[in-house]
Amino acid sequence: MKLLTAEQSMEMCVRCGRCRDVCPTLDITGREADGPRGRVLMARSLLRGEIAVDEEIEHQLNRCMLCSACEDVCPVGVQVPEIVMAGKRKIQAEKQERGQERLWEKRLRNLVFERILPHQKRLQFVGHLLWLYQKSGLQWLTRKLGILKLFPESMRQMEAVLPDIPSPSERRPLPEFVQNKQGTTHGNETGAKTGRKRVAMFRGCIMDVMFRKTNLNSIHLLAESGFDVVTPDEQVCCGALHNHNGKRETTIELAKKNIEVFEQLDVDYIVSNAGGCGAMLKEYAELFRDDPEWLERAKTFCSKVRDISELIVQEGQLPKASGRGERVTYQPSCHLQYVMKVKDAPQKILQQVDQIEFVPLPESKLCCGSAGIYNLLQPEMANDVLDKKMTNVRKTQSDVIITANPGCLLQMKAGLYREGLTEQVQAMHIVDFLTESKSPATDHSADAKTSSSA
Amino acid sequence: MFDSSIIPRLEEVVGKDRVLVRKTDMMTYSYDASFATQLEPKEPDVVVIPLSTEEVSQCTRLANEYKVPLYPRGAATGQTGGAVPIQGGIVMDLSKMNNILEIDHRNLQVIIEPGVVQADLNEALKAYQLFFPPDPGSAKMCTVGGMVSNNSSGLRAIKYGVTRQYVLGMEIVLPTGDVIVTGGQKSRALKSVSGYDLAHLMIGSEGTLGIVTRLRLKVLPLPKTRGLVLCAFDNLEDAGEAVQLVYRSGIIPSAIEIMDKYAIRAANKMLPELNLHEGEALLLFEVDGIKEVVSLQVKTISDAVSQYTNFVQFSDDPVECQNLWQARQVVGAAVGNLKPGGFRVYGGEDICVPFSRLPEALRRIQEIADSYNIICGIYGHVGDGNLHTAPVINMNNKTEIENAKKMIDDIHHLAIELEGTTTAEHGVGIVRAKYMDIEHGPAMELMRRIKKTVDPNNILNPGKMALPI
Repeated sequence: MKLLTAEQSMEMCVRCGRCRDVCPTLDITGREADGPRGRVLMARSLLRGEIAVDEEIEHQLNRCMLCSACEDVCPVGVQVPEIVMAGKRKIQAEKQERGQERLWEKRLRNLVFERILPHQKRLQFVGHLLWLYQKSGLQWLTRKLGILKLFPESMRQMEAVLPDIPSPSERRPLPEFVQNKQGTTHGNETGAKTGRKRVAMFRGCIMDVMFRKTNLNSIHLLAESGFDVVTPDEQVCCGALHNHNGKRETTIELAKKNIEVFEQLDVDYIVSNAGGCGAMLKEYAELFRDDPEWLERAKTFCSKVRDISELIVQEGQLPKASGRGERVTYQPSCHLQYVMKVKDAPQKILQQVDQIEFVPLPESKLCCGSAGIYNLLQPEMANDVLDKKMTNVRKTQSDVIITANPGCLLQMKAGLYREGLTEQVQAMHIVDFLTESKSPATDHSADAKTSSSA
Repeated sequence: MFDSSIIPRLEEVVGKDRVLVRKTDMMTYSYDASFATQLEPKEPDVVVIPLSTEEVSQCTRLANEYKVPLYPRGAATGQTGGAVPIQGGIVMDLSKMNNILEIDHRNLQVIIEPGVVQADLNEALKAYQLFFPPDPGSAKMCTVGGMVSNNSSGLRAIKYGVTRQYVLGMEIVLPTGDVIVTGGQKSRALKSVSGYDLAHLMIGSEGTLGIVTRLRLKVLPLPKTRGLVLCAFDNLEDAGEAVQLVYRSGIIPSAIEIMDKYAIRAANKMLPELNLHEGEALLLFEVDGIKEVVSLQVKTISDAVSQYTNFVQFSDDPVECQNLWQARQVVGAAVGNLKPGGFRVYGGEDICVPFSRLPEALRRIQEIADSYNIICGIYGHVGDGNLHTAPVINMNNKTEIENAKKMIDDIHHLAIELEGTTTAEHGVGIVRAKYMDIEHGPAMELMRRIKKTVDPNNILNPGKMALPI
């Protein structure tokens, strides 16, 4: 757990400016208010009551992508994202009090954050609807009729790159237990060395609907890397989206539920394949600073959380994998590299794959602009950030761009779509890429291609 | 009074997007890294973000026409309030003019825009096995334009000197909006004594005489390896003698850094695995060059210092060097831990005293701190007598804030008393203006006359460096 609370760390900012260089929004506009120092000052002034809640301050704080790059480099550990979120919570509370919250906005937020995301079955139902939209010809029809033109650009972009949702029958619950493949097939020293660790798979909420195949691939990759894998069906959404949008109470409820579910299992690790979820899980303890009973349970939980690539590099053994001579680059997930502090495991794994050429992505430290649902809420800034990212992707002349988080993956796809690169460059989750590389002949995997352009 | 009819005129020059007038923008352009602006922020009336010399020139011309103060600003990482608008008016944010225009590697020079960050320049130079030597602690965030305007340096000044020595020429927008190039309009020469050396008048003038829009900088071959010697002393005077002995052995280290006992304690607190000996002083010698020479120098230095202490560690292995260097790397942030909820104050943070009086300076700074009941760590570039004092206080304690202010004042007076200076590399800005007359006497009058000649309407960065408001 962190030494200071966000509020304490807010007082520590000496404005040295170390954070300037890693902030994706400051990089675009150069405005101090779009950088971490400015945000700390604005949020701090707001929280201290020195400035009033108004639209301008709300707009300014909403422009933060909460990527945590600034916190990662801060010499004194100023928790910028937490401070910004505290500011946003104050704004929301005050707007509610004044009855200023727009009704449709309130209802929509309520629907998504309280009624859908926390309930996996309901989310799967939304998945059914999406599947129906894609498969019934409705998607074809809307595209043909140009109905999408009525929607904002960011929505159109996302619609275009939405992966093919697996049918309801393909989205049956994930297998509860998969035995490690190394122990049974080889039973050799290597198998013993990896110790047949027992791990629990965290499946994520949206991840499990939209990227079901990636979850399945993850389970099998873990098994083949030497782990016994359990996937409890009672687990719920990690709460990251709630936390980022000021829904603290729901976040805590979700965290408690997950802690309960996973502590009943006798596992060494809890594995996530989404940087955004993993980072939230890793920081559960922060939610329970004032709740000693849950704090201890949360700390135990947090200590077990690992990213899939981190775990395989540290304790597993990647099955032999080989590409087809493609050039590959990697866009890190911010929450993976800055919050979970997993900075080079994905590259290390990729370097174990034969027959590929790994090219580092210039300025990969900068967020891609997906940032949860930022790209839907702040489309203009998100697209500026994305366009710059794509310029860097072009420089690498890669055939594949690898990511480690579903949000980043969709954003990369959106970027390729904007640039007209969908035919030349594939965006893939690292697990899907590894799955494809270890069995090139069979499974051509997990929505590797974008579902055609509009 | 600020004449807001200048705003639409500025918008005509750079476009609406890059003229900022919102309340939140004014708030966030009211500070730099100084303690003074933490306590008293100073808001501008408008901010412009130019992207070219032409835009800088036209905005400056407008400021001169409307007689509105104009404050040039890089990344605002300064610790003196140098880029802060104390009279309202326009802040000109030059950080987006950050292109490296040409790396003329065969002629050992680069041409860049002022907003390029020092570390980014060096990253780009690496491919040519070159480097731009001045390296302040803020290398990862400060702009080279800001470095030139403050003539900043850093830990390697002892061997490589200060920013001044690397400026071959510069394009400057004068307060009237006119543009000149110093060091020869078309010159690529590495030396020149043709005419008054105007660049050297501009360097360190803190944006009071002109706005740097382009720089021609000398760069050097990048040393292949470096080696480190870390040694601890129970007695400050011994540390001083050890440095003298190293000099007499014929070596110019690329850095000699000192940490006093509180700074050592702070580093140990932050990273217990460092396990530094908590004596009166810790010295870090760095040497650089080709491998064989580095190994020999490391050996010579550790032999020399061993005459004064038993606590010596040395290495020429990159990984081990990185470990040894960690103590120095973390100290700036670590001092905050000397006290729970501690806030590290940047004030009195840049004095420089003659080498022979360093032990005296270190002892007396701690005495001053004691007299105000403030805890502080001291570290710095012992090679040139430059000390960074870091008082640590609690920002919600009014008495501590007042005491810190007095302590800072005492430290500056101490520096002058010890035949030193109030600032070695950070600059004057607003925080050290009051010592200028004591330091310079009648020379100050000539500085004021120069300012008046170059900037008759007092447009550029007025009120800084004890120049007229």
